[in-house]
Amino acid sequence: MTDRTIIDRVDASLAGAAPLPRDNGELVFEEPWQGRALGMGVAVMDRFGIPSDEFRTHLVAAIGEHTEAPGESAATAYYAAWVAALERLLRDRGLIDPSSAETPPRS
Amino acid sequence: MRSRALEALLVEKGLISTDAVDAVVEMYENDVGPQNGAKVVARAWVDPDYRRRLLADGTSAIAELGFEGAEGSKMTVVENTPAVHNVIVCTLCSCYPWPVLGLPPTWYKSAAYRSRVVAEPRAVLAEFGLEIGPDVELRVWDSSAEVRYLVLPERPPGTEGMSETELASLVPRDAMIGTAVALAPETVR
Repeated sequence: MTDRTIIDRVDASLAGAAPLPRDNGELVFEEPWQGRALGMGVAVMDRFGIPSDEFRTHLVAAIGEHTEAPGESAATAYYAAWVAALERLLRDRGLIDPSSAETPPRS
Repeated sequence: MRSRALEALLVEKGLISTDAVDAVVEMYENDVGPQNGAKVVARAWVDPDYRRRLLADGTSAIAELGFEGAEGSKMTVVENTPAVHNVIVCTLCSCYPWPVLGLPPTWYKSAAYRSRVVAEPRAVLAEFGLEIGPDVELRVWDSSAEVRYLVLPERPPGTEGMSETELASLVPRDAMIGTAVALAPETVR
């Protein structure tokens, strides 16, 4: 069972370099998939004991490489990079096959 | 959607379960949770000095219990008495004392609540099942980025021997917004 501390740890670890999008202190999810993406990342780190710093490195890189689509909001851009970072992390760790990880870019 | 494709892949490979993702999402939804506010209220009920400090300077008194973080905004605590009932709103957007109450309920952000609670607070509270007598003064506090309000509900009768923890369990979120009152002790026993 995932407990709260992992969430707080991830939150704190990302706070400086790639903070979770918030408004008025609340986490911002513009579409449900963004919340799922976050939940998925935390669940993966928890399940495999992956330090949040390791994920953060991938996330910062993915944010840097992300090209914003016209009219794309900050939260959407952030979670698009989040998903890309999670894929890299999983590939890096050999948890998913490099070829099968190539899901089609935004659809 | 790429996120969904990845989740499907991870589930298919047995790396994570949908339930595990659900569990995390649920925890985020209850991010801070109103239990922080309930602790503040319970402390104010048992400790008159704390209550005085809380009403004089909400921000510092709340920080004493370790709850901080409303982006530099001031916390003002308004006290319910037999003669005065307080209710909070943010007419402009959805400013909310989240460090103590967690995420605002959907209705708090609704245009209907935001406009109607100012124009006809008695009718709105009645819809929440809360009848405020005609002799009780109703005060509506409009939150902003600078000032967030928290309602200190009245301590229910018959709670004299209760511990602080027990008292906190009598304080639902809505009692600190002002759309409800604290629970009677027999309802939680």
